[in-house]
Amino acid sequence: MGNHFKYALKILFRKKILIFWTFAFPILLGTFFQMAFSDIEKNEQLDIINIAIINNDEFLQNEVFVRSFEQLSDDKSEEQLFHTDYVNEEEAKRLLANKKIDGYVLMADHQLQVVVGRSGINETILKYVTEEILQTDKIINDIIEYRLIQEIERNPTILENIDSASSQIYQDVFTAIKDSQANILDQSSHHLSYTMIEFYTLIAMTCLYGGTLGMTSINQVLANMSSHGKRISVSPVHKGRMILGSMMASYFTQLVGLLLLFIYTVFVLHVDYGSHFALVILLTCAGAFAGLSLGTAIGTLVKSNENTKTGIIISITMLGSFLSGMMGITMKYIVDKNFPIMNQLNPAAMITDGLYALYYYETFQRYYFDVISLLVFSGLMFFVSYISLRRQSYDSI
Amino acid sequence: MIVFKTFLKILKKNIGIVALYTVILVAFGGFNMKTSDNNMNFQDSQPSIYIINQDDHFITENLIQYMSKQCKIVKLSYDKNAIADALFYREVSYIIRIPQGYGDDFLNGKNPQIVIESTGDYESSYADMLLSRYLNVANLYQQIYDDGKVIIHKINETLALQTDIKMATQVDTTQLSQATFYYNFMNYSLLAGCVYITCLILSSFREEAISKRIAISSMNTKKHQLILLASNSLLALFLWLIYVLLSFILVGQVMFTVHGLFYIFNSFIFTICSLTLAFLIAHLVSNKNIINGIVNVVALGSSFLCGAFVPIEYLPDIVLKIAHILPSYWYIQGNEWIETVETFHLISLKPFFVNIGIVLVFALVFIVMSHVVVKRNNG
Repeated sequence: MGNHFKYALKILFRKKILIFWTFAFPILLGTFFQMAFSDIEKNEQLDIINIAIINNDEFLQNEVFVRSFEQLSDDKSEEQLFHTDYVNEEEAKRLLANKKIDGYVLMADHQLQVVVGRSGINETILKYVTEEILQTDKIINDIIEYRLIQEIERNPTILENIDSASSQIYQDVFTAIKDSQANILDQSSHHLSYTMIEFYTLIAMTCLYGGTLGMTSINQVLANMSSHGKRISVSPVHKGRMILGSMMASYFTQLVGLLLLFIYTVFVLHVDYGSHFALVILLTCAGAFAGLSLGTAIGTLVKSNENTKTGIIISITMLGSFLSGMMGITMKYIVDKNFPIMNQLNPAAMITDGLYALYYYETFQRYYFDVISLLVFSGLMFFVSYISLRRQSYDSI
Repeated sequence: MIVFKTFLKILKKNIGIVALYTVILVAFGGFNMKTSDNNMNFQDSQPSIYIINQDDHFITENLIQYMSKQCKIVKLSYDKNAIADALFYREVSYIIRIPQGYGDDFLNGKNPQIVIESTGDYESSYADMLLSRYLNVANLYQQIYDDGKVIIHKINETLALQTDIKMATQVDTTQLSQATFYYNFMNYSLLAGCVYITCLILSSFREEAISKRIAISSMNTKKHQLILLASNSLLALFLWLIYVLLSFILVGQVMFTVHGLFYIFNSFIFTICSLTLAFLIAHLVSNKNIINGIVNVVALGSSFLCGAFVPIEYLPDIVLKIAHILPSYWYIQGNEWIETVETFHLISLKPFFVNIGIVLVFALVFIVMSHVVVKRNNG
């Protein structure tokens, strides 16, 4: 069998175009993904928002507003939300038209007005902040009023010295507001980078794409596919061993391709596979096995030329990858949520989902379900191929 | 006519692939088109959140009511995995867990804890601001009033204060950005369609037996080449026309304005460029089997690098710098420019025509290069 393995390997590696596309295409695609998606998540975080404030007298006299915007625009503070330009109205309009700012704030006739260019999150936050200032102002007044009434009820003489009393209360209220802290505990997972799914689908695609290798090897043995196959059919070798040797050679080639892809994604693209690397390897081996079985099944069941068989394998691979989120990550979620059976039968989704489960979930239930699904899928495919190959003989014509 | 007929014959055989690129364009282009009625009024952004409430109390009820008004509450099946998946895939960006006994603890001044999970994007940051504001306001009123009903009344009264907000622009920005998305995506479909078809047809004509047959025929080689060029141009034009027509259906009204005219003009110039690029590739590649690969690398590659799939502002600077050497970049820049312009006058048009000019220069370079390649092949 060693010889069969060696020769099958030699034949595979001589097919330069096949090897190039199995090895290089995923790496190329991965590079595109990296270029396109590397900054997406960073850009989805809240950035400093550029705004302008009309610095008319009415604004400058309103201490609460001046102070609040100063605080929120302080570039040394961690809570900086805005980058603020203090300008006149003409200038603000010009800045807004040129998209240099998202909006500006105008104080006129004791009314606050926010002018924006469009509806969006930055504009909503600007509106939110101005409202918060108004609301805080109201809270301060409410509490001072309440406290003063209480104080006066308790000690009516305070009325004579109302100014100092209210300034004392104002100080208290101000400290209370500053100290007031909403008790929120953030328990978010650190593994929330959804662009990783793209790279997982890439692994899945490579695993299944490797099926073309298995198919090519099988074609070498089939008498109706190649002259090489005819020669083998009439030779006194054990066909089972022969096929096993070819299969192992294809599997080996697939694993080499995947290893290259892993090295590239981990060290160059910095893809995060979570902390259970051994399990990632196990899943990938099972995935490559599924790809091999798919290629073998198509190689034996479809009675057509090599190009058609390759076409079928590529179509199945691309459709599977599409459903597991390669062309849009949400696709996997939509299918998982609405038509779960589709992805439970889709080997590309099993691989992607297994990697996702390892990355995001703390338990292994989902992961093992995916590994077992892959093995069942492979078993089924191999069984079908076996039935078809068994006792195959050709009529004398 | 014979050449053209053969051309159509080969095209007919491969019409499926062209249809596929069109379907992809329509699927992705159409997917992004949300129905938008009126966008001249300001609409608050509403983060998608999910609330897990384990408390039955009127205090909690009021909090949920406030969040529901400001956010979009997503309905999920109450399953731990379903909720975790929804957060990962950004169906919700913020999850709030209200523990049992929250209302009572709040009234007793214990400032009880609320557990959240967030994706960390801007939607979740905004949801976090909303929740913190509510809790802060609630805590302050709780410190002075004892009666829960009064506290709620005060909270709602305070949070109802709103600022007056006005939109400055007179242009419907949502539709414009949809149009930009569609026309940017067209970069992929046009390139893939042109390159695929041109390569396939030219390589069919260049198969050894066929090219020998053509060589001994009475037809002038130059004329033959010219007819092929014309047929391919006709096809590219036809492809462009279909995509433009589709844009009227998918994008809608804005296509009937001056903005729409500019999008169409820009895409027309790019079609010419794609056609010349397709010719160059077709002359470089003679192996039919690798056409598919080339199409993927050229069309997918330039679409990814230049911002056809992922908005330009999300691409890293280095990628955009590299993208300068591709015509797609200048085409997409042109689309982005159209989106930002409010009124068209001669001075403001300059950057647009610079982009158009560069795309045309690319086309010229491709023509010269294909000429060189043809000469070399014939020699």
